[in-house]
Amino acid sequence: MPESRDSSGATRDLDPRRGRDLLLGRLKAYGAAHYQFRASGDPSYYVKLLTSKGERTLWGKDLERAITEGQTRPQIGDLVGARRISREAVTVTARQRDRQGRVIAQEERHAHRTRWVIEKVTFFAERARMARRLRDEQADVRASVRAHPELKSTFLTVRAAEEVAARRIANPEDRERFMELVRAAIAGSVHKGEPLPSVPLADRAAKRKREEPTR
Amino acid sequence: MSTVPAPASVQSLLTDGTSSEWLKSALETALQRDPVDALNDALLLAGVLEERLRLLFDLDGLEETPGKEDRV
Repeated sequence: MPESRDSSGATRDLDPRRGRDLLLGRLKAYGAAHYQFRASGDPSYYVKLLTSKGERTLWGKDLERAITEGQTRPQIGDLVGARRISREAVTVTARQRDRQGRVIAQEERHAHRTRWVIEKVTFFAERARMARRLRDEQADVRASVRAHPELKSTFLTVRAAEEVAARRIANPEDRERFMELVRAAIAGSVHKGEPLPSVPLADRAAKRKREEPTR
Repeated sequence: MSTVPAPASVQSLLTDGTSSEWLKSALETALQRDPVDALNDALLLAGVLEERLRLLFDLDGLEETPGKEDRV
């Protein structure tokens, strides 16, 4: 069973069947601090949320980026959602200190750093709407992009995948299955709140100009 | 209003201009009640309202397997 740890180190079950990976709560505090507020702890970053089940303190260096670079700029008192979107392997230096706080030993350890997204709760509602549009094969792409212009690159990514599938996958059923997987993966990523794909869009006017024959 | 002393946070919420009328009204009503029952109901209410929000905003549309938090 997947689990998460709160500030007391206690383990809370997260039921994967219900997809409860999004923690909701009122933003109470955030900032840099020693891990678990212990003087001997490594430098870290915390975010304190008041949830319907009580106070939760999240720890992780990436929380600083998530909270300061969040699209919705969450403020203290806002109802926010916090979600882990990925984990990446990192090497951390574990330091042992004496009573005066001097480092007496250190070693390199392999660990995982979680990448977070922390936004006002409306952000996640908007992403859920976008994900539904992406999953819907029958949706009018133009209308969808009009409603969510930020999805343009995402739809282009889907179209690129369709073109690849058309060229490389002969069996129509396999092609359909491939596109289902692509759509589900992209929609899942959008729903989670991950950054939307950024496809450099060619400047059509500039392109036309370049293509004009020189006289 | 109850004659039982209330923490400063109660007065602060009641006089805070940003507090909603619903919150003030609920708080004033709750102060008349047995504190254990009031808190118990409030926790239940918070849980139910969270469920409603998750449902209305489709916040749990994905199957996820979250990992452990960072140790640093």
